[in-house]
Amino acid sequence: MKKWFVLHRKEWLEMTRNYKVIWIPLIFVLFGLMQPITSYYMPEILKNASNLPEGSVIEIPMPTSGEVLAQTLGQFNQMGILVLVLAFMGIVSSERKSGMLKAILVKPVRFSSYITAKWMSAVLLSVGAIFLGMLASWYYTVLLIGDYPFMNIVKGTSLYLIWIMFLLTFTVFLSTFLKSSGFVAAFTLLLSILLTLLTSLFEKYMEWSPAQLTNAAASLFISGKLEGPLMLPLITTVILTALILYLAATRKSSL
Amino acid sequence: MNFEINWALVAPLLVIQAILMIIALFDLTKTEKTNGPKWMWVLIVIFINTLGPILYFIIGKKHS
Amino acid sequence: MELLEVKSLTKSFGKHVAVNDLSFSIEEGRCVALLGANGAGKTTTLEMLASLQKPTNGSISFLSVEKRDYREYIGYLPQYPVFFPWMNAIEYLVLMGELSGLSKSKAVARANELLELLGIADAKKRKIGGYSGGMKQRLGIAQALIHEPKLLMLDEPVSALDPVGRREILELMKLLKETTTILFSTHILHDAEEVCDDVIMIHKGELAVTASLSELRRKHQEDVIIISADENLDAWAGSIENWNIVSKVISTNNKIEIYVKNVAEARNLLLVEITEKKLPITKFTVGQTSLEDLFMEVVGR
Repeated sequence: MKKWFVLHRKEWLEMTRNYKVIWIPLIFVLFGLMQPITSYYMPEILKNASNLPEGSVIEIPMPTSGEVLAQTLGQFNQMGILVLVLAFMGIVSSERKSGMLKAILVKPVRFSSYITAKWMSAVLLSVGAIFLGMLASWYYTVLLIGDYPFMNIVKGTSLYLIWIMFLLTFTVFLSTFLKSSGFVAAFTLLLSILLTLLTSLFEKYMEWSPAQLTNAAASLFISGKLEGPLMLPLITTVILTALILYLAATRKSSL
Repeated sequence: MNFEINWALVAPLLVIQAILMIIALFDLTKTEKTNGPKWMWVLIVIFINTLGPILYFIIGKKHS
Repeated sequence: MELLEVKSLTKSFGKHVAVNDLSFSIEEGRCVALLGANGAGKTTTLEMLASLQKPTNGSISFLSVEKRDYREYIGYLPQYPVFFPWMNAIEYLVLMGELSGLSKSKAVARANELLELLGIADAKKRKIGGYSGGMKQRLGIAQALIHEPKLLMLDEPVSALDPVGRREILELMKLLKETTTILFSTHILHDAEEVCDDVIMIHKGELAVTASLSELRRKHQEDVIIISADENLDAWAGSIENWNIVSKVISTNNKIEIYVKNVAEARNLLLVEITEKKLPITKFTVGQTSLEDLFMEVVGR
C-alpha cells in the first residue's frame, strides 16, 4: 500500500511538472464560463449580425438556467472528453515505449499497483477539473440568467462523472496494451461517440448504456428531476468500469 | 458591435486564456525539443486563442 | 552458498528460440560474466532473471527457493537505462528506493551516498533529461544499488561508453564486487577477463561453457613462444615439431608460433638451438595465448 502511494505521488509530481494540473482544470473552467456568457449575449449578437429592417422584432427566448447548465454538460461531453482522452492516452503506453515500465517493474512493485495508481491520478484530476468547470458555469449562470439550486449541480455532475470514469478507465485499459497513444485516443473517442449515438437512436434497447448517465444528468439540470432510466445504466457502468480496470491491472503479459 | 460588453464579466475568460498562453510559452523556453520547429509552436501558442496552448500541451511536447 | 540457480531455462518467441535449455548457477560473492556475441540471448536471459520476461520453460530458484518474487534482492541495470527526464537524480533515486521498500529517510540517505560514490553528486539537482550518456549509466547503476541488493545484474554495462567511461565503470565494478554478487553481460572478452571470477559463455541461446576464469585459463590457455626471423624458417620449424615438449607449431611467413608444454625448459632448448644453428632471429617472445581463441571457437562454430 505504501508503494501505491509512492507511485501515485509520482503521477501527481509528473502532472505538476508538465502543467496538466493547471491546464486541464483551466480548460474546463473556460468551457464552463463560456456557455452562460454566450447564452446571455446571444440575442444581442444575433440582432447585430442579421440585417433586419429597422423596427422588426425578433423574439429569442432566453434559455433557463437549467438549460444553460445542460448545454455546458454537452460541451464537456464533446470538447471535454476530447481533451481528457488526449491528455491521458499515453498514460501507460508512453512509459512502456520509453522503457520506464520495465525500470519500475524490476523493483518489487505489483503491476496492479502501478496501473491503479495511474488510474486514480487521472480520475482525480478529471473529477476535480469537471467539478471546477461546472462550478464556474453555475456561478455565471446564477449571475447572468437566474438562480439555480446548488445541490442539483452536485447531483447532476456526480452522475455525469461516472460516465467520465468509465471512459477514463477504458483509456487506461487500451493504453496498457496498444503500442500507439493515437490508437488509444481514437478507440476511446470512437466508443464514446458510438455509445452516445446508439443510445439516442435506439433508446429502447440501450437503456443499459453508460451514455444514459449523460442524459440523466442533463434532465436533472433542466427539469430538476431524474427522467428516463437511471439504475440500470448506473449498475452496468459501475460493473463495466470495475471489470475493465481489473483487466487493465492484470494484463502483465503486455510488458 | 454596438452593444455594451460587461468587461468585468469577460475578464476571467481573458485571464484564463492569458494564463494558458503564458504557461505554454514558459514551457517552450524550458524544453529542448518539440515535435516540429519551436518557432512554429511559439506562433501557434500566441496567435491561436486557447486551442494553441492546448495543442502544444497535447502534441507539441516530446515525451521521451 | 548458491544464490541463484537456473535450470533448463528456455524462451521462445513464436518459432524463434532466443534462449534454449540454459542451466547454470551463481555462487554468492562471485562476479560472473555472461559472455556471448550480439544476439546470443544475453538480454533475454537477464530479463528473465529480473522477472521482466516470463520463461517459456525451465525454473529459476533464488536462495534455493523456486518461483518466488525475489525482486527486492536484485538490482538491475538495463542495456539502455531510461529515467524520467523531468526528475532530478535525487528525486529519481528516492522514488526507486521507496519502490524497493526503503523508508523515505533511508532512501534519501542512500541516494546521497550513492551519488557521492558514483561521482555525480554535483549534478544531483539537475534534470536527468540533460545528463550525458556516462552520467546516465552511473545513475542507472545507482538506482540498481539503492536497496543494497544481494545480486546486481548489469546488461552490457560498458559497451556504450567511451574508453574513459568504460575504464571508470570497470574500476567501479571491481570495487562493487567486494560486497555484492555481480552478474553482467558483455560481448567483449577482455572486459570479462578483467573483472569476473566466473564465465558463462552462451552461443545462439545455448550454454557453451561455464567455468571459473582460472579453470578456463588452466584448461585453455597455453604457453607460446613466438620467434620472428629475417628469413623463412619453415624447414627448421618442421624439425622441432616432433619434440615432445612442443605441442604445436604454426609457421607463417617469417614468424613461428611454438606452443609448448613446459615454458622454462622449452625456452632454454630453443635458445640453444638458435645459437647452435645460428638462426637469424629478430625477435624472441615468451607469452600465453588469450582466451580469445576459446571465445572465437565458441562463437564461430
